[in-house]
Amino acid sequence: MTTDTQHTTNPRDDNSPDTSPGSRTTPPTSRISGEPRRFRADVVLPRLIAPVVLAGILLAFSALSPVFFSSDNLLGVLNQAAILALVAIGMTVVVRAGGIDLSIGVALDLAALAAAAAIAGGYRPWVALTIGLAFGLTVGLVNAALIVLLRIPSFMATLSVWFIGTSVQQLLTGGGAPIYLQKSQVPDGFALWGNGAVLGIPIPLVFAVLVAAVVYLGLDRTRWGRELTATGEQRTASRISGKRVSWLAVSAYLLGAALAALGGVVLASRTYAFIPASGQLYVMDAIGAVFIGATLSRFGRASVPGTLVGVLIFALLANGMNLIGLSFFWQGLARGVALLVVLLLAILLTRTTRVPVIPPALRRLLAPSTARS
Amino acid sequence: MSTTTAVPEARILKPLRRGAPRWLAWAGYGAVVLVVLIFAVSSSAFLTPGNISATLNQAAVFAVAGFGLAVVIITGGDDVVNGGIDLSVGAVAGLAGTVAAVAAGTGMQPPSAIALALLMSVAAGIINGSAVAIGLRPLLATLAMMGIAGSLNLVISGNVKVPLTGTTFEWLRDGRVAGLPVAVAVMLLAFAVVGLAMTRTTWGIRSYAVGQNPTAARVAGLNPVRYVFVSYIISAALAGVAGILLASRLSSAVPGLGDQILLDIVLVAFMSVVFSRRLVVSLGGTLVAALFVAALTNGFTLLGVASQWVGAAKGVLILVVLAVVAVRGRGTAR
Repeated sequence: MTTDTQHTTNPRDDNSPDTSPGSRTTPPTSRISGEPRRFRADVVLPRLIAPVVLAGILLAFSALSPVFFSSDNLLGVLNQAAILALVAIGMTVVVRAGGIDLSIGVALDLAALAAAAAIAGGYRPWVALTIGLAFGLTVGLVNAALIVLLRIPSFMATLSVWFIGTSVQQLLTGGGAPIYLQKSQVPDGFALWGNGAVLGIPIPLVFAVLVAAVVYLGLDRTRWGRELTATGEQRTASRISGKRVSWLAVSAYLLGAALAALGGVVLASRTYAFIPASGQLYVMDAIGAVFIGATLSRFGRASVPGTLVGVLIFALLANGMNLIGLSFFWQGLARGVALLVVLLLAILLTRTTRVPVIPPALRRLLAPSTARS
Repeated sequence: MSTTTAVPEARILKPLRRGAPRWLAWAGYGAVVLVVLIFAVSSSAFLTPGNISATLNQAAVFAVAGFGLAVVIITGGDDVVNGGIDLSVGAVAGLAGTVAAVAAGTGMQPPSAIALALLMSVAAGIINGSAVAIGLRPLLATLAMMGIAGSLNLVISGNVKVPLTGTTFEWLRDGRVAGLPVAVAVMLLAFAVVGLAMTRTTWGIRSYAVGQNPTAARVAGLNPVRYVFVSYIISAALAGVAGILLASRLSSAVPGLGDQILLDIVLVAFMSVVFSRRLVVSLGGTLVAALFVAALTNGFTLLGVASQWVGAAKGVLILVVLAVVAVRGRGTAR
């Protein structure tokens, strides 16, 4: 509502300096400096779509189900979303570095497999965590080697790692048999990661929030993050300007795999089991969440806060549909439609909101030229 | 990025070749012959007519869907993240099979059931094409469609196997056209039609132009969006045909199969690079790649290798293919 009124009032004073031919040199500088009061509908509106859709989902399900907007349920949703958040944050780093990682589900699966097997074998929780992370990092290392050393496009490289990883998983589990842990035999230290709570906040959620904060600061507030972003967007320019593009890419794929591996360990701990190929479910949602989140950025850049909005959209959608009794069959449809709607609206608004802005500008542009001739 | 300095020099010396050694164009075929020979020597059943026919049958599904994906990649450009890709082919194929099975189960005539299934596929293709034409990345548009089609498949089938019976579908499974199994005949027909359309018609040549350099194509007066839009419809329609062939072969529509065949279709389409002289995605290459992958799967099964290894072998295959693409020297200056 507020955006509409702003957008009808502002374009006039927004465009008047641009179009007067005398002051042509001044407006570009002020536009680059990006003064906050300068409002451009085509820049701002598309960025509001994902939050608006999120709010719409919240409102709709609150109206449809009395349980939905209770603090217990919302905390449960956040807890459910924690693993997807971990995976999606890992994907954010990779996408920011200009790649994509389809094997992130394999990293998650192998980490869950290793952790579950270690616990089943009677190892201590920290050993299980270490082994799990090591398995996940191995996947990241393979990706990094393929992409950085062999210079294979990231999509295809990680796709083949997905193939190979699925095979490895089946070989390690004897044809894809799940590992179920006896609840009584699982050490508390391990069960805690997926099921414990600190001050009433579930531990997976604590993990997700901590990781989100650290990665956000890392990507947006450190030199590494700036260099990574530059490499992702202008690889050649970064290389020429002396950035270590290879190492930056390696760090992105390793971090992505490590976060997915952490998600895998949490998943194994939460479910007291390893179920083969459960990681693949997260890959597509993570990609969707990252690119929904990218609409929050003016440059279409993947960011941690944006990704979290995307994750919440998917998580609330799934939970709300469960609560109003729609079977899980419909959830893929809802997610696909949500993804399409958000992304398409972002593109359409970027285009069409220019239309109400341009006509007066055009008129003013035409007026002096006709007067001159 | 160490070869960036080498590539321009090579270009000056040999302006038309893009860094790939000449023998590489034949290495792919050599590998196929080698693998077939190994299987033929180690398993006496491999080259029997019955087994060859079964292998061709297996190849048909991946080949037909692969042709569609190849058209999308040719028209959209083969840069995967921003170029043409259709991740929804597997899900659309699965959906088409389910729609045909459910429609036939409710007593609809087989031709109209098939028509309905193909209509659904084309609808998915229109949505894909429109989203891409509006400006969505193909990767994301088709990812969303993959979720939607997969979900619709579950909703329509109720997540249970739907039997597909009837004389028409049995003919699709067991019948023969000119001595060939029907699926193989369909594969060859699709190859002939799409292959001729891509290489012998104005539309096909222009599609290649749009894929290789959209800016140049636009400057030359083409409307790239139109060709890209059509490519997604072709891809979805061929995926629908493949889905019906698959469901007929299995005598049922199995939910969840779409996700499994997606990887094979992507593999087949991208592997076609190895079988083309210029090392680009091509329809002939897709056909050879589909036959090769089917022969590999079949040969491994005959040799008694556990099915888990087949996936690993496919993964390694993609990597070999991509190493070849890397040799081609693409993407060095990005």
